[in-house]
Amino acid sequence: MIAIQDLNLNRGADQLDSLSLKIDDGEIYFLLNRFGLDFLFHVLDGLRQADAGEVRFDGGTAPGRGSAGIVACIDRLAEVADFETEARLGDWIDFLCAAGGLDRASIFRTLLVCNFHESHLKRRVRDVAPDVFMQVYLAVSLADDRRNLIINDFIHRADKGFELKFNKLLLKKKAQGCAILYLGSDIFYASDIADRVGFVKNGRLLFEADATDLKEMDIKDLYLKFLN
Amino acid sequence: MLAFLQFERRRIFGEKKNLIFFAFIALSSAYFAWSGLHEFRSFLEEKRIFLNLEKEKTSQITNYAQYGAFGFRLLYESSPLNLFFVNSSVLQDLESNIDNFEAIRIESSFKGNKLFLKRGYFKDFAGILFVFGSLLMLYLGHAALASQAYLRFMSRRMSLNRYCCLTTVARLFWLDLFFAALALGSYLLIRMAGVVFSDSELRTFLLFLLFLLLVLDFFYLLGQLTTVLLRFRKVFFLWFFVVWFVCVFLLPEMNRVSVFNSSRALESAEKVNLEKFRNLMSMERQFRELIKVNPAAPRDQIKLMQKKFAVQFINSSYLLNTGLETKYLREVEGVIFGHERQSAVFPTMFYQFLTGEASGKGYHGYLDFMDYIMKLRSRFIQFYLRKRYEEGEPPMESFVKGNENVFRSHSRLPRNYWWGVLTTVMYGMGIAYLTLWRLRRQISLA
Repeated sequence: MIAIQDLNLNRGADQLDSLSLKIDDGEIYFLLNRFGLDFLFHVLDGLRQADAGEVRFDGGTAPGRGSAGIVACIDRLAEVADFETEARLGDWIDFLCAAGGLDRASIFRTLLVCNFHESHLKRRVRDVAPDVFMQVYLAVSLADDRRNLIINDFIHRADKGFELKFNKLLLKKKAQGCAILYLGSDIFYASDIADRVGFVKNGRLLFEADATDLKEMDIKDLYLKFLN
Repeated sequence: MLAFLQFERRRIFGEKKNLIFFAFIALSSAYFAWSGLHEFRSFLEEKRIFLNLEKEKTSQITNYAQYGAFGFRLLYESSPLNLFFVNSSVLQDLESNIDNFEAIRIESSFKGNKLFLKRGYFKDFAGILFVFGSLLMLYLGHAALASQAYLRFMSRRMSLNRYCCLTTVARLFWLDLFFAALALGSYLLIRMAGVVFSDSELRTFLLFLLFLLLVLDFFYLLGQLTTVLLRFRKVFFLWFFVVWFVCVFLLPEMNRVSVFNSSRALESAEKVNLEKFRNLMSMERQFRELIKVNPAAPRDQIKLMQKKFAVQFINSSYLLNTGLETKYLREVEGVIFGHERQSAVFPTMFYQFLTGEASGKGYHGYLDFMDYIMKLRSRFIQFYLRKRYEEGEPPMESFVKGNENVFRSHSRLPRNYWWGVLTTVMYGMGIAYLTLWRLRRQISLA
């Protein structure tokens, strides 16, 4: 469960004013903002501090080092070149398993769902296609079965094939009882995947809707109203 | 830690461009070690010819008056370890002439093939490792942390401090291992080629290697810091070159200019020679005056007067001139000690001072050479006066016993070697701390 209470973020384009929301176990909540919600993501993953308010996972744990065991954070993958491009994918996974204590079997289970081919493991990060690296990145990020998942605009610019694989994994996580908060700006994807959708405009959460209700609404109208 | 070591080994040695650079450094340092060995062997050959020539020259001299005027030459022989530092030395190939003139002359010959022995910056084993090693380490320090996005990703899996520290330790372990293996391998190959090093030379080489590794580690950490200060921007390579140029060329050059400026406070060597010449001439004048007073003095009496003046010369003018020379040498020594202290301020400056001293042709080698010249000269003057005036020109006998006319300089370390090591370690720790501090801010504020 993810609970956000009166959260204030005063800096940056994605500022927030008294954001409160609660995501139950087995629920996908999609928070939409035109400019994205990078600041909120970094507050939730413990890298930055909120100006006011609080965040709690599973009723007690605040973001930071203590939450590492119960929250998985998946950030937007802007550039593969930003990553360790000299290493081979297989070596990188071995390293993360040995040094970061990740579950190797879990990584390969995720890769299996993505139809990842074993031959990619011998290739360097810089030589693999972006969607192949995204599969590995996702598998590593989901390696530990955490009860809460925060995703920041992950499938931004990804191809449809990868999006479908990702959806499959997300729904699997949801079925396992994981509370999922997805931050992004794509209303169409939100209507596809989320149980609930929240619209943030000018830092305020202006409107919330269930996904079933959303399908009956005029999405274009919502887009123009909240995300334009 | 083992995971970091394995991963970084694959990262560093699995990358083709790194391997090309490693191979280039290994081949060029091997070439310069071989070139140093070749030069060392040439020197030994020259030395053999020099000794034969000196023996021949002395045997041709017919009396002690001639011997006093011609004297004999003294050759400066550096330690065999110099073959690793042929271009890092302060002194060139030196000679001095020991005779009964008042001035001490130290010369470097440019005759014959020595004219073509063109030397320049860093064209030796120690220089190549320093120049290309520092470039490589700057680059590998830059490549170590990849990007802010990657560090944020990793910081969700382990603490940033732990990741950065263990990555740095693992990379430095492999890189230091490469450079240590290269240096020790070259040392062993040179030994196998027949060059014998003493225990103290081995110790000097190992301590030089320790400092080389510390300097290279310093550049690695500097590469990391530069990357972090420039927030991983792609304009990095311009700055990368600027930082490298400042550390490798500019600061050591500023140090050299600074020591030159402080040496300008020294009195001109020509003035000292003139002073000594005046002392000698005043004594000569007294002798001439005495001869003028007794123009008809018999030959025996003149010889007796000469002997008396010779004793007087040893006890007054010669002592005075030696005192002047010693005082001048101590002033030069003061400038050298100041330079030594100043060099310990920055790692690259100290590296240059260290290589000069380790070559055996550094500033301390010069001081030892001067001390040796003065002792030998003092003995030669006494020998000359005794043979010429006291013993009444006995048959010619060479003053030089054995290889006394070869001065063997020792490879040594600067007196403040451990201060230099400590300063470099402190710089490294400071840079690592600053990098981590900036990185933490960037990761959390980005």
